[in-house]
Amino acid sequence: MFPFEQIGRYRDFQAFVSRDVMPEAERWDREQKLPSALIAGMADRGYLGCSVPVDYGGQGWDTVTFGALNEAFGRGSSALTGVLTVQAMVSSTLVKWGTPEQKRRLLPSLCNGNALGAFALTEPGAGSALRSLETRFSKKAGGGSLVLNGTKRWISCAQFAAFFLVFGRFEQRPMACVVPTERAGVHVEPIIDLMGFRAAGLAEIRFDDVEVPLDDVIGKPGFALSHVAPVGLHYGRISTACSALGLMRGCLEESIAYAAARTVGDKAVGEVGMIKTLLARMGTDVEAAGALCHGACRADDDRLPEAYEKALMAKYFTSVAAGRASSDAVQIRGASGCHASSPVSRYFRDAKIMEIIEGTTQIHEKILGEILLQRARGPIH
Amino acid sequence: MSFERQNGIRATVKGFISRASNVEELDDDVDLFETGIVNSLFAVQLMTFLEKTFAIEVGLDDLDIENFKSVNATTAFVVQKTVRT
Repeated sequence: MFPFEQIGRYRDFQAFVSRDVMPEAERWDREQKLPSALIAGMADRGYLGCSVPVDYGGQGWDTVTFGALNEAFGRGSSALTGVLTVQAMVSSTLVKWGTPEQKRRLLPSLCNGNALGAFALTEPGAGSALRSLETRFSKKAGGGSLVLNGTKRWISCAQFAAFFLVFGRFEQRPMACVVPTERAGVHVEPIIDLMGFRAAGLAEIRFDDVEVPLDDVIGKPGFALSHVAPVGLHYGRISTACSALGLMRGCLEESIAYAAARTVGDKAVGEVGMIKTLLARMGTDVEAAGALCHGACRADDDRLPEAYEKALMAKYFTSVAAGRASSDAVQIRGASGCHASSPVSRYFRDAKIMEIIEGTTQIHEKILGEILLQRARGPIH
Repeated sequence: MSFERQNGIRATVKGFISRASNVEELDDDVDLFETGIVNSLFAVQLMTFLEKTFAIEVGLDDLDIENFKSVNATTAFVVQKTVRT
């Protein structure tokens, strides 16, 4: 039994995904759009704000349960799970660093689905390199508010978000704020025809002289990259890792079913030695990824400092392993695996995206490599 | 707060920072961020450690680099938060 299957609510999540997600996921992928009624249904079940404290309209679930939710949804649709990812990134940041007024104003509407958020960090020229943000906040003449200028790109959920959590610089100090989509000077341009995550509502956002009241600053100037963004990115990594785990489980289940049922000549596909090799690797990867994801969630629930490293490792390993699993799942199915009628073709495209979002594989290797090297460093005098 | 209690907090804080930075002989006043001996996750890991170990909440009002820049600064911060709560 996989770790997340031991969670009481996991069967409920699976039932929702089997009934309302899996039969429609291919169509959403083709149409590059998620139905708003589905998002509302997820909100009704408390999925959007599952980790938000009850006082602010959430469910107050622990991180292991959050991981189980993402794993179950990842089996059905990576794009839809991306909505859970982004709402967790935004809400966790607000829970930790928002003022009481900001929490009261933003969190209940996010949890009930009336006003979703988007995490506007990535820029056209910066990618995952947080320290080269070009978005700028400046003081508005006369004081009392700020003016925001800059462009964000590849922002998930931006097509249907009601507000953005925007990261930029104020007098060279990294700073974050919330900006309503409807504010004058905000321009949202949908990004279509992506390889994967096609229904995740990605967009480019341009901010042209957008006024930002000081009350909408999140945290304090100077702490956006050291304290504010890492909280959201941490839950983004946990969500993405668990979503990739669900995708891997889908690859394994599809592959086993096909290999057992499909015959070539008088032999089942699964009787071919090389197919067994692929299944063995995939099944072992699922077990390993499950252990890493569950460990990261447990560490977060236990409020351990190493939870951040564990989330990095879980996201790193699982997203790469998901690429391997989906490639092998296509290979096992042959030509039929290359067609939209099989979910493994979508898994294959989505898995590649998972190696890029919430920090690329290479960024994870850089951070984890530095951490591990640091442990071998001798005393500094 | 007793002198012994403050020293206990200092030893706990120093133990974590020494492990995180892998610096065994850490001066209590050395600036952790200016010297670059800590990695990019250190700030949030220190915050998480302090919250769990000392049952305190590091909140918006505590976001001040003066609170976390050294062993002595962090100890003073914890002492102040512990007395306050």
